[in-house]
Amino acid sequence: MSEDLETTLRRMTETKVNRRGFLYAAGLTGAAAAIAACSTGGGSSPAASTPASAAPATSDVPSSAPSAAAADSFPPAGEIEKELFMYNWSEYISLANIEAFKAKYGVTKFQYDIYDSNDVLLAKLQGGATGYDIAAPTAEYVPGMVEQGFVQKLDKSRLPNLANIDPKFKGLWWDPNDDYQIPKDFGTTGVLYRTTMIPTVPKSWKDFLELIKGPASGKTVFVDSMGDVFVFPLKMLGFSANSVDKAELDQARTVLLDVAPHLLALDSNKYGEKMANGEAALSLGWTGVLTQDMADTPDKGYVVPSEGSIFWLDTWVLLADAPHPNAAYAFLDFIHTPEIQAEETNYNNYGTPNDKAKPLVDPKVLADPAVFPPDEVFALLEGSKDTSANTQRTDIWEEFKQKLGG
Amino acid sequence: MASSASGVGPRPIGERLRSGLLTTLLLLPAGIWYLVLLVAPLVIIIVFSFGTRAKNGGYAPAFVFDNYVRAFQKPEPFITSLQMATIGTILCLLVGLPLAYYLATRAGRYRGVLILLLVIPFWTSFLIRTYAWLLILGPDAGLAGFLESVTGAEQVQILGTPIAVMIGLVYNYLPLMVFPLYVTLERMDRTLVEASKDLGAGRWGTFRQVTLPIALPGLVTGSILVFIPMMGEYVIPQILGYGRTYLMGNALVTDFLEARNWPSGSARAVFLIVIMIVTLAGYVWFVNRGRKTREVSVL
Repeated sequence: MSEDLETTLRRMTETKVNRRGFLYAAGLTGAAAAIAACSTGGGSSPAASTPASAAPATSDVPSSAPSAAAADSFPPAGEIEKELFMYNWSEYISLANIEAFKAKYGVTKFQYDIYDSNDVLLAKLQGGATGYDIAAPTAEYVPGMVEQGFVQKLDKSRLPNLANIDPKFKGLWWDPNDDYQIPKDFGTTGVLYRTTMIPTVPKSWKDFLELIKGPASGKTVFVDSMGDVFVFPLKMLGFSANSVDKAELDQARTVLLDVAPHLLALDSNKYGEKMANGEAALSLGWTGVLTQDMADTPDKGYVVPSEGSIFWLDTWVLLADAPHPNAAYAFLDFIHTPEIQAEETNYNNYGTPNDKAKPLVDPKVLADPAVFPPDEVFALLEGSKDTSANTQRTDIWEEFKQKLGG
Repeated sequence: MASSASGVGPRPIGERLRSGLLTTLLLLPAGIWYLVLLVAPLVIIIVFSFGTRAKNGGYAPAFVFDNYVRAFQKPEPFITSLQMATIGTILCLLVGLPLAYYLATRAGRYRGVLILLLVIPFWTSFLIRTYAWLLILGPDAGLAGFLESVTGAEQVQILGTPIAVMIGLVYNYLPLMVFPLYVTLERMDRTLVEASKDLGAGRWGTFRQVTLPIALPGLVTGSILVFIPMMGEYVIPQILGYGRTYLMGNALVTDFLEARNWPSGSARAVFLIVIMIVTLAGYVWFVNRGRKTREVSVL
């Protein structure tokens, strides 16, 4: 027996010889797995791309859980289900309103899952996710979702509060008859600045260009969003922000490559922080950070340049296979009750398209031209279109990104 | 012992079947894992790479080569990635080899503690560790501020440069280099070093002819483990590089998420995979060849 033990021990120590093979094998299989991981990473990386904005991990949990209910027959109209499943951006619905809704309609379970980009929402739906009742895509994504059968036509007779919506948000190109979406919140793309850090306050995209190449060189940030960055050169040159014209895009390219070496960062998540801590003096971005990262920055300013810009509109949609359609209708109407909508605006500080809610909004928010642009400014705005199919834009965008490093 | 004689003959069919079944069962989890998480995604990517972009983004079936043409026309992010990953791997090696050698041979009773210290940062999320470097390299209390006060320069910018990206890469992937090296060096027979010195080799000669060949498998494994994720890195250039260093991972994000052109992104991914496999196969072959010749020359 003792001899056997000794043999065993000897054999065990001999694994040293095998380890070399093992290490090679481990390295190579690890390598293969890593290649696969990085190559499929495109689909999953939005989580990583905007780490500051959300905890996207939580969005994975329930997608399959509620699907069991989907096959059940719909209850008759009026009988409100006890559950509602919402898929929405993070911190984009007031928790007080959720509680008020649950109390009013006897809904016991309100599931609020989050995504951090329209693409994640689309990918989820294209991947066959079911079980959600309501989602909140940006308007330009709605036509595609309709075409792919992800959303259902709204029965407007069940949504009397739609009458509160400002007519300028109705009948737009993405949904000419307003059959599929309900306006939720809107905002603009423009120029943010700190008055103490730049010699002159920009009024136009031309001023913006001069500042980037002059006093704000190395202190300017653009949001990392293709559609928004193209607004600057195209509008400055007098073209549509949604242009896909070859000659116009060529001119825009020249401007973008010209400013690229002067930029500090291309960053959608922390540009507000960079403005707040003084790393950046100027940025092309959205209004949201003004009341978030830059809440305590006294010298902040925001302007929609005089040549014009774009506005974005987020919308509510009712998903095609919503398992709780009556609760969903109840919610969609409830959320546009003036008091409830005013609470939404006070909570997230984005512009509301609900006219009746405006008198109930916190006067400070209502008076902020960055949140509620005056009519003459709004007249300068185009609704943004989905131009991602244009390969010339993508090529210019990539060239621009490579030029950033100098 | 006498019974062992009967074991020499062919085993009963039942026993062979059972052992075959056992082997199958034992390999099943790993097999399914690779099939579902490696082979299947790879096949999907290859199929997608010949498709076209659907009208609303994503993938529409087709059989075209446009995506590969595009991938070849845009080699810049790939070249930048290759440069960064190569330099990063070399830096990891330069830092990791002495560290692993120290841990394996000189650390003595502190070895356990030191290894623990090396592992502890990994208990924190990758993102948080990367964000922490914003403070360390930043203008206020960080390295940039320190350099400004020391050199008197008006502004030292580290964040947003390739240097910041490189620091992030080396920091995050260093342990993947250290551990394989440590494992091989720890197993090294120390008497070989003594023998080498007895036979007249100096420190450098001993290192080159004894230690290094023994550490080679760990070196190869470590290099591969470090190099591959660096090639696909996306988060570090985004956070520490301020989006100004455009690597292959960032290019894939542009294709998949911004242009929503899955076929184009897939073709670039396949392009990356093929080049990496060729590069790594060449690397392993080169290293092995070097070792064989040395063994022959020693004999």
